Amino acid sequence: MCLFLTETADSFNMDAYTQLTPNDLLQLLQSVWVTLYVTVIALAIGTILGILLGISRCSKNKILKYAPLIIIEPLRNSPLIVQLFLVYFGVPVLTGQVLPLYPAAIGTLALNTAAFMAVQVQTSILSIPRGQWEASLALGHSYASTYINVIAQQAIRILLPQAITLYISQLMCSSLVSLLGVMDLSRLAKFTATRTMQPFLIYGIISAVYFALAYPFTKLAKSLEKRISINL
Amino acid sequence: MSMIEVKNVTKSFKIKKEKTMETLTVLKDFSVNFDQEGVTVLLGPSGTGKSTLLRCINGLETVDAGDILVNGLSVNHKKDLSKIRMDCGMVFQSTVLFPQFDVLHNLTMSPIKLLKMPKTEAEEKARILLNKVGLASKEKAMHNELSGGEQQRIAIARALMMNPKALLLDEITSALDPEMTSEVLKILESLAAEGVCMLCVTHEMQFARHVASRIIFMEKGSMVCDTNAEDFFTNARQNNERINKFLQFIGE
Amino acid sequence: MILNFNFLPKYVGMILQGCEVTLILVVSCLVLGFGLGLVFALFRQSNSKFLRGFSSVWVNVLRNTPFLLQLFFFFYGLPQLGISTTPLVTSIIALSINSSAPNCEVIRSGLMSVKKGYYECAYSLGYSKFQTFVYFIIPISLRLSFKSLVNNFVNLALTSSVCYSTTLMEITGVAKTVVGRVSRPFEVYLLILILYCVFTYVISFISKAIDRKIHIVL
Repeated sequence: MCLFLTETADSFNMDAYTQLTPNDLLQLLQSVWVTLYVTVIALAIGTILGILLGISRCSKNKILKYAPLIIIEPLRNSPLIVQLFLVYFGVPVLTGQVLPLYPAAIGTLALNTAAFMAVQVQTSILSIPRGQWEASLALGHSYASTYINVIAQQAIRILLPQAITLYISQLMCSSLVSLLGVMDLSRLAKFTATRTMQPFLIYGIISAVYFALAYPFTKLAKSLEKRISINL
Repeated sequence: MSMIEVKNVTKSFKIKKEKTMETLTVLKDFSVNFDQEGVTVLLGPSGTGKSTLLRCINGLETVDAGDILVNGLSVNHKKDLSKIRMDCGMVFQSTVLFPQFDVLHNLTMSPIKLLKMPKTEAEEKARILLNKVGLASKEKAMHNELSGGEQQRIAIARALMMNPKALLLDEITSALDPEMTSEVLKILESLAAEGVCMLCVTHEMQFARHVASRIIFMEKGSMVCDTNAEDFFTNARQNNERINKFLQFIGE
Repeated sequence: MILNFNFLPKYVGMILQGCEVTLILVVSCLVLGFGLGLVFALFRQSNSKFLRGFSSVWVNVLRNTPFLLQLFFFFYGLPQLGISTTPLVTSIIALSINSSAPNCEVIRSGLMSVKKGYYECAYSLGYSKFQTFVYFIIPISLRLSFKSLVNNFVNLALTSSVCYSTTLMEITGVAKTVVGRVSRPFEVYLLILILYCVFTYVISFISKAIDRKIHIVL
């Protein structure tokens, strides 16, 4: 141990260690990729699951209407970080099976997204006037056909801005997976800020990266919302 | 000195017509005096600046040129606006009662807060006025429990609570159906009989004929005729083709 | 797969202390976050271009960057400026600033739904601009936006869990410590999850009751 210390003590250059290097830029790009990878997959799975749960919540069948609540309510009313801990640390101890990091993180984020998406889908579908249903059924459409041909398009138009806002918020929440060990933007930020001892600069830069990813979509959501309120 | 002196007032609005901004001059070098007596009705085709004149008197619109003095206070001085507005109580076409208060509180709030009237005195006065407008039973009602006509009557009572020297009424019955319109006009008649000074913009010709003491006819932002009511419907009509056309058009 | 809650009696005190810290954190941020949100909402409605722009930038930056980074920004940044505070104070600062953004949006939309007629009505009775705002516009718009403000409060409470990373011993921080000693993560985190759910439901229930009383229709 001592040998190691005396050998390297002279050659350790503090300045070089704390400076930003081109290698950091490479790491930045890698972490952007990880962040996007985690978020996009989680959002995709969460959207599909959320739509299914949301449609289920609109049905008249008691089971279809109330069963999804078992998933939706706990996920909506508790913090994401606790959900992540529960899944990544808790489940392996309970089942004795090792849970790999990425699937656990992505899966939990996906479930969390699905819970919020389900509520949005439900309110969008239910906000379509009853008259649309009745007109369609009167013409002879079945419930499924009404959904596909009449309701879906209108519901999606109402849903879209809310969904985009949810996606942005989940992109922000994806930063929490760094606390489990995922090497995303936030983890890089913490490492680099500690190493270079320049928290304001590093957190500022990484925040700007998140901002650059999110802001265009925020604007998109706002303009879509305006379009809808004009049409209605 | 008259109570309200309108001196050479010009007022224009910028409106967007297709791709350009057009300036619409609504009042052109307009002058008139109002004393604190009687009922004056402003008549004329739409868009001739009648409502704008009332809103300028009240300070809700700023004048581009000229001045308006209300009891000696100018509308161009921001500091005097509050006093001017308390002297000229205004009732609008679409009435707005404060939604978080019941009727009684709506009436008593402003005298208590602005005129420093004691609560008991304000409530007593409110009840008297509610009686006058025929809504004594609606003391505890909220705004969404009242019909349009009832809301307008409460609005009149609320304006009267501030002891105004004159009431400015801007087409207050235009948004009401005939039944509610006659309810409101009846109240105005009884107030006029009691001697409340009123300045009305209205299209209700029966009201103008029977209640007005003075009629001002405006067109395109200028004064065409300013005379007493009797004279308007007889001589002025004969002498002025535009007045005649207008009265014919509205079915008189 | 048997759940074992035996750790409970020994650690109940610790957990309750964690709840206390969370409550202090959350209530302080409720008040501060609301106050800040109101200030920025009024900035947004003001005549000054600078104030409007500043408020817009404030809200956009806070909404489009992760809270975790905002928290670290203050937690690691403030000591560099020579300001040394406790984890609790840092968390309160970061969390109230973060929650001021959605509050500002909600209050602003409440203010905008009060139509011009209300302003004119109050002016013509003789109220000044300031009086109109204080007596009418703000009370009305707050009643309109009450539900959304409560929603923001619930989000605030859930986000407060992230503050454990500043070594603050709020519920999540306590949970981590207990897990370290007891090695039963599933049960501990499940308990914490349930605690948060209970808190949310209680807030929902109380807010529904309050909303019924103060609800107004424009």
